[in-house]
Amino acid sequence: MRAMVWWRIGWRNLWRSRKRTAITAGALALGFLSATIMVGLSQGIVAQMIENGTELVTGQLQVHHVNYQPERSLYSTIGGRDGTDVEALIDLVAARPGVEAATPRVYGGGLVSSGWETNAGILMGVDLEREPQVSRMLDGLTAGRLPEPGLREVLLGSEMARKLKVEPGAELVLVAGAADGSLGNDRYTLSGVFHTGMTALDAGYAILSIETLQDLLVLDRNRIHEVAASMTAPWDAPDAAAALQMTVSRQVPDIEVEDWVSFRPDLAEYAQLAGSANWIIVMVVFVMAIFGVANTMLMATFERRHEFALIRALGSARSGIIQTVLYEGIVLGVVSLIAGAVITIPVMVWWSVSPPSLAALVGDFTMAGSLVQANLRVVLTWQTPVMSAIALFLTAILASLYPAIRSARVPPADALAGAE
Amino acid sequence: MKEHHLQPTTAFQVTAQGHAVRTVDLWKTYPQEPEPVHAVSGVSLEIAPGEFLAMAGPSGSGKTTLLNMLGGLTRPTRGEVWIAGHELSQLSDKALARLRLESIGFVFQAYNLLPVLTALENAEFSLLLRGVPKEERRRRVTDLFRKIGMDGLEDRRPGRLSGGQQQRVAVARAVVGKPALVLADEPTANLDSHASDDLLGVMEDLNRELGTTFVFATHDPRVMDRAHRLIRLVDGAVVSDERR
Repeated sequence: MRAMVWWRIGWRNLWRSRKRTAITAGALALGFLSATIMVGLSQGIVAQMIENGTELVTGQLQVHHVNYQPERSLYSTIGGRDGTDVEALIDLVAARPGVEAATPRVYGGGLVSSGWETNAGILMGVDLEREPQVSRMLDGLTAGRLPEPGLREVLLGSEMARKLKVEPGAELVLVAGAADGSLGNDRYTLSGVFHTGMTALDAGYAILSIETLQDLLVLDRNRIHEVAASMTAPWDAPDAAAALQMTVSRQVPDIEVEDWVSFRPDLAEYAQLAGSANWIIVMVVFVMAIFGVANTMLMATFERRHEFALIRALGSARSGIIQTVLYEGIVLGVVSLIAGAVITIPVMVWWSVSPPSLAALVGDFTMAGSLVQANLRVVLTWQTPVMSAIALFLTAILASLYPAIRSARVPPADALAGAE
Repeated sequence: MKEHHLQPTTAFQVTAQGHAVRTVDLWKTYPQEPEPVHAVSGVSLEIAPGEFLAMAGPSGSGKTTLLNMLGGLTRPTRGEVWIAGHELSQLSDKALARLRLESIGFVFQAYNLLPVLTALENAEFSLLLRGVPKEERRRRVTDLFRKIGMDGLEDRRPGRLSGGQQQRVAVARAVVGKPALVLADEPTANLDSHASDDLLGVMEDLNRELGTTFVFATHDPRVMDRAHRLIRLVDGAVVSDERR
């Protein structure tokens, strides 16, 4: 019952100066908006980096022979003499819950020549039907068409094509060390050019159908270097990799399953760093707000020091005054949170669903080896608004604490000192 | 919840000697350069339950300081104040607040109502702090408002009441908890003569009907005229004590 009177006084005091309350609540609401959007944007950048960093080429899971990494040994293949059924392995990976699709790949290092120009590059053999379900590399076709399986055709990155001064239809010579110890070489036709925006890919990759590259590298059809897989949720990859490793190890020896966190540690570390930085951002925003709100509360309570003296003179303990000022802060927090939610939710939804293009301000750029495009979107999670709301409440309460304690120290004799 | 102590007026706790208030060689000294100022100098008083007493004197004579000390709002430099069986200097801040809540009512010069509460809520404030149930609070305040001519104005905020009406609410707030003592500092200072007479009439009635002890600090001749006992202060000391 006594608490009710302090709530009532706190609530009504808050509305004595509506303009001041509106400005303070507005500042807190904007703090909520800023913190939520900044964290959402940061998470959006990280999500985009993970998507682009893993969906562009690598996938989120990779399966190799245990000796394949780190040298990417041409000879350490899955299948072949060890008798592994590659198709069965791909099906096993694809059947794992959370895995969207899986595809085989073959890699080789070689030289690509056109007339007098030569460029070193990675030769990548892909299953042209399954690859688009795992990576977006083939999506960026800017000229020509994809290679036809069975034909000696090759797709080049835009930067490599520019250096070699070739266009679709041009004749190229590929030279690569083969698995039988010989030097594989042959003439190919440039079927098309792709562009990803990642210089390393555009300048260093030549893509062939998996059979065509197997022929050049003298690898049997059943020998591959990698099974790459895409996941519904990239952050589930470590658990999926661990589970898959256990399953696969029981059936196929010398197989290693890796997730993107282990083969792209730079990306994972950046994501972790950004995650920590997000909460520092929230803290900085609200610590700044604490001082602003505390200043306003100090002014508001100083104006009422005579009333606090009166309350004390009438027999209230100091705790009553502390309560009423703290309750005022809590109510201010609730009002600010409602205002913050009203302005934040529509902005967040809009920014998440149809992110505005920032191309006029900034072009596409790469960070931690991943492409970040100019249309940054915010990521909607329940954690960000909840954490921001908690921070907002703490701000309102902490900002009220000092004014509350100061108000409670007003001597009751001040009530007799005259007022109004 | 703590129990509320609403005692009938006749059962007020008094000092061991039967006084509502007793002061013994009371001093209040403010350290100042070149020499300390004695706002109250060795005042010894005995006020019986049910007295209607005025303390008069020129500005700076120590009336308000003495009232502050009687109400436990200021601690004396030296001496004793006994109220409701307690020597105030022995009490902690918390206990002093409790004593003010249960045994002392205040009426201030500037009305001093809480502007965010209605007339009724202001009047019942001390009962609320004491945990008195709502029905009991409302009943007591409504009865009192009827008695002092404030019925119908319960829901008005202080800003929508006249000075006289606000001071009546302040009086209701002071007496609603049936305190042993009501201390009133210049209660008529901001009122016109008609409102002053009305208010004094209200307090006289309450004094007569409830037996509440009233102690005024005042300049107002009307208050002095109606007081049953008049104490004059000069330079912090009692110079006359006249019973009528």
